[in-house]
Amino acid sequence: MDSSRRSFITSSGQALGAGWLALNWPGIAAAAAHAHDAAASPAARTISNLTAEQARDIDAIASQIIPTDDTPGAHEAGAVYFIDGALGGFFAAHRDEFLSGYGEFTAAFAKDHAGVRFADVAADRQIEFLKTFDSTGFFQTVRFLTILGLLAAPSYGGNRDGIGWKLIGFDDQHVFEPPFGYYDRDYPGFVPYESQVKS
Amino acid sequence: VSARQYKNSHAVDFVIVGSGASGGVLARELAQSGFDAVVLEQGPRLAPADFEHDELKYWVESGISNHPVSNPQSFRSDPASRAQQLPDRVPLRYARMVGGSSVHFTANYWRFHEIDFNERSVLGEIPGTGFADWPLSYAELEPYYTKVEWEVGVSGLAYASPFDPPRTRPYPMPPLPVKSSGVLFERGARKLGLHPFPAPMAIVSQPYRGRPACINCGFCMGYGCEVMAKSSTLFNMIPEAEATGRCEVRAESYVFRINTDRRGRATGVAYYDSEKREHVQKARAVLLAANGAETARLLLNSASPQFPRGLANSSGLVGKYLMFNYGARIGGVFEHELNEYKSVQCTRILHDFYNADPKRGFYGGGGIDARIGAAPVIWALQNVAKQPAWGAGFKSALREFPRSMLVACHSTSLPLESNSVSLDPELKDAWGVPAMRVTYRDHPDDLAFARFHQARGEEILQAAGAQKTWRIPVTESTNAFHLLGTCRMGDDAGKSVVDRYHRTHDVPNLFICDGSSFVTSGRGQPTMTIQALAFRAAEHIAGFARRNEI
Repeated sequence: MDSSRRSFITSSGQALGAGWLALNWPGIAAAAAHAHDAAASPAARTISNLTAEQARDIDAIASQIIPTDDTPGAHEAGAVYFIDGALGGFFAAHRDEFLSGYGEFTAAFAKDHAGVRFADVAADRQIEFLKTFDSTGFFQTVRFLTILGLLAAPSYGGNRDGIGWKLIGFDDQHVFEPPFGYYDRDYPGFVPYESQVKS
Repeated sequence: VSARQYKNSHAVDFVIVGSGASGGVLARELAQSGFDAVVLEQGPRLAPADFEHDELKYWVESGISNHPVSNPQSFRSDPASRAQQLPDRVPLRYARMVGGSSVHFTANYWRFHEIDFNERSVLGEIPGTGFADWPLSYAELEPYYTKVEWEVGVSGLAYASPFDPPRTRPYPMPPLPVKSSGVLFERGARKLGLHPFPAPMAIVSQPYRGRPACINCGFCMGYGCEVMAKSSTLFNMIPEAEATGRCEVRAESYVFRINTDRRGRATGVAYYDSEKREHVQKARAVLLAANGAETARLLLNSASPQFPRGLANSSGLVGKYLMFNYGARIGGVFEHELNEYKSVQCTRILHDFYNADPKRGFYGGGGIDARIGAAPVIWALQNVAKQPAWGAGFKSALREFPRSMLVACHSTSLPLESNSVSLDPELKDAWGVPAMRVTYRDHPDDLAFARFHQARGEEILQAAGAQKTWRIPVTESTNAFHLLGTCRMGDDAGKSVVDRYHRTHDVPNLFICDGSSFVTSGRGQPTMTIQALAFRAAEHIAGFARRNEI
């Protein structure tokens, strides 16, 4: 919550009185929140916790977890920027574990692919290798962080321009009115049961 | 914010530990009855404008709930083994703020049925368990259920369920608008001869007592309501208590010990303020409403030479009989969009499997609801079909989000003495206070019923025309939001911690009213009953105080 929304709501309350506010607050709060979301400046596209090479590999793994096809995937969402930020933020306690897992990942990959990085091989070879590696804690962690990087709030560095939300069909609004979906459009109303069932 | 401030040295009529579902009700009722009350809340006081739609903060991190680093807990399923901390989470989770878990709850507000109070008499003993009747009946609690619906604000349709227990008044406002999950659930369930009905919710469907109607934003479960449409005590009981001029709510005041005198009476409570400075609030009586986990821990941490096993624990049962409510889930995907992320979590439920049936070969009963499969992050992490877990197939499963829903099956947990909150022998919290150790293993009947119930839930989705369904595996519980049973009520001082009026058997001016008072678990959705108990307890406690019987 930014201070402008808070002070907006507070000052509205003081200026207009509690009664007016109670009736109109939902619309105000929602409009203010939405303005806040829209105005949130996107996190900078910089990598600060991973090396450039690590970031390229993590981006490549994330891009196989949620690939790009005719629609955007983890790469376009900027999941790697989310992951980089997480390693210096909410996930910092697991940073060493993450990096040592990454070390095991590159070592395992190098066994059959000497002299070439994961990020630089073709997609089918990446997929083939990940199938041998997807039960590891490291892969599970990258998967977890990739999902967050696709779908968590854009203020954390991923989900660029709400790409992840658009991909799955989530509309980031604060106010909705029925009908909400296809099946509640023509609901005829609740039909009561004829009698009480005594249990 | 508080209208009135009391000095620590002034012995107030009541000090109330906890400001949640029950603490808020106790505070309002006692203050409106003319008594002074100081409410001590360990967490901060937040305003509606502080609440955000931030899944990472509220669900992946601890957000407004107890934190695994500063408020650690250990867990074990085997009472003989050493308990360990779970990675990045606590087993017993609650909202740690003014308003307590009534701020972040989903707001499902079923009443218990008559059978919940006398089931032991009806079904007989269940060997190896503490299955028992409550010392009060549904009929005794009915006026207080009605009070919750009107004072707290509950939307619903009276007698819509043929299984509804008797009531003296309709709901104060109609149910919230039905969602697509509710329409599909109702269609499938009616086809099977079942009786779905509009879910009663503690979320206001119309402007109610100065609070606006729900705007259908969809972020209820685990979040605070940004427009005050959710009937959290933060928005109703707490400000109404303060408005009397006889109640002070002191946030960031973490009670770690109840003090007693040589006569064995409580004299007040010791707490840490936001700077970790120690204070003692004196009081003529102490009311614990700290939730079914923290209340037991506080009593155990209040052990003294006079009360070596912990306060109010002559029975040895403080912390025992912890119960959760099992929650089995089934995912389903339909042809068209449901957009379950819009509006409240749940709009249709059914109680056809509420009663236990000995013919099944195991004990158990429950209620089933139709609901959102969670907001995007949690849906993708937990509720999407498990395979494939990555790649093009996973991406296409993620895109089923608007067409998906969950059916949730809420059910009984038997009271087992071995399931408990106790003190960890080594682990301490950020204040140096012994942390809680949670020991829990579901009774085999709880899991058997959960699987039976889940199969019924899946049939409903299939009858509704789901393109695909999948069962989220029923496994042993390692965490819970429903924290029940650790200071159970009863007439026999050897077999319970509080009496039928919530007074502890051992300490005449110490009362406990929260989820810990439960004798059995009910079928799910305990907060309605916690608040009905709190309205009833407050009436009796006020009577005792007036008659000088405390």
